[in-house]
Amino acid sequence: MSFRDIGMKIQAAREEKGLSQEQLARLVGCSQSALSNYEKGKRRLYLSQLEKMAEVLDKPLEYFVDSLSSSHPPQPTSSDRDERFVKLVNLLGRLSDEEINEVMRYIEYLEWKRSGGS
Amino acid sequence: MEKVRGELKLDFSLTKKQQELIESVKSMAAQEITPFALQEEGIHREKMLISLARMNLLCPTVPKEFGGLGLDLFSTALVVEELAAVSPGLAAIVAATLHAAEPIILAGNEQQKKEFLPLLTGAQAGAAAFALTEPEGGSDLNIISTQAAADHNGYLLNGCKDYVINAGIARFITVVAATDMFKKKASLRIFLVPHHAAGVKIEEIYHTSGINLAPVGRIRFADVNIVGEHVIKSREAGSGYLLLTQTFDVGRALVSALAVGIARAALEEALNFAENRLQSGVPIKKHQAVSFALADMATRIEMARLMTWKACWLIDRGGDYSVASAMAKLASSTIAQEVTCLAADIMGARGYIKGTLIEQLVRDARVLSTIEGTNHIQRMVISSQL
Repeated sequence: MSFRDIGMKIQAAREEKGLSQEQLARLVGCSQSALSNYEKGKRRLYLSQLEKMAEVLDKPLEYFVDSLSSSHPPQPTSSDRDERFVKLVNLLGRLSDEEINEVMRYIEYLEWKRSGGS
Repeated sequence: MEKVRGELKLDFSLTKKQQELIESVKSMAAQEITPFALQEEGIHREKMLISLARMNLLCPTVPKEFGGLGLDLFSTALVVEELAAVSPGLAAIVAATLHAAEPIILAGNEQQKKEFLPLLTGAQAGAAAFALTEPEGGSDLNIISTQAAADHNGYLLNGCKDYVINAGIARFITVVAATDMFKKKASLRIFLVPHHAAGVKIEEIYHTSGINLAPVGRIRFADVNIVGEHVIKSREAGSGYLLLTQTFDVGRALVSALAVGIARAALEEALNFAENRLQSGVPIKKHQAVSFALADMATRIEMARLMTWKACWLIDRGGDYSVASAMAKLASSTIAQEVTCLAADIMGARGYIKGTLIEQLVRDARVLSTIEGTNHIQRMVISSQL
């Protein structure tokens, strides 16, 4: 992850919108060279600046920062099973230590049942 | 200073208001802080915080409409340097409070500002804490484990934060947590947690080597309910990371000011010693070895101060300050450690006695290359933008 990832998303969104660097720079109130550095990841973007770009480029803020996600953890796909898995893990995050222990005991019970209950 | 040539007009002089601010801090510090500064373990912390609160200096960047002084970062850095020159621990309490308040000032809504910022201002002001570092992953946002799970009323916060400055004395804690364990960094949000919230527990206060006035500890959050109103930019997914990096970029300039204050105190102590300590019938300052060391110390401190000022100047003008701030922190923290050690060398065995100012400053300076992002992190920030 890096600001380079965010920069690449800016470039992609800008090109999708059919804007030149100069045009986008003018619309968000920065210089063309600054925008060029943002896209190359050589200059740090702050929230207010990215909010302006997101507005001009008709993208949610999340579109740009989603690229910050680490590539190591499994990424949710469109499959129903994966979506349910993501939901389950997020639900687990709300549980107390004791409740997580209960869930683990239940999973152990399911594994025991699947193995024939021996 | 008049324009000399060209269009560029630089001015390193302080305004009358800034000079008066420095004098008022110096005067208060001489009477109410310096006499107790060498007494560690926070025995006199409460009195010192009251002195700061009386001058509304616990978080001077808070805008006037919320009870603060509304100081710019440059003037705030001047205050931090003065405080660090008399009590690095007290300056660390202030720097941590400023850090905790910064996300609110930068991106908080009106209600959040009204609710939290006045807690840091006026005669009843208290400190605040910023909680990011974790016991396992440190400050690596890719493996952050503190999680805020969305529920019907807001979020449920679970996790542990470590090495939190102002743990146990903060009125509120600004907590960084992931809201999605797969997205981690991309899902970061900043939560404002009142110190008395159910489920907040101070697990340990550490006995640190330096900045002893500032309590540093580990805080656990167990099923802490956070209402949506206490989440900064609650409706804008993806805002947390950028806000966090901006907060750090501002904070680094203030840690740089803290370093300048520590280094300055070491130079003043060593200079005073060198002017009075006789060897071969003359003050040791007359010996070239000592005078050159003092000259090097003064030069490095000036470098550190100018870099701090430039970073603050850029921040106040909304310039591109990320690199300047990281460079200032990197240079100043290194210089503070070098200068305090040089001062200890000049003072000989006296600089090695527990309870002396130099011995304390050497320990205080050590923390500077760790806090607000280690110096290796500063190098990464700088090199990524070259």
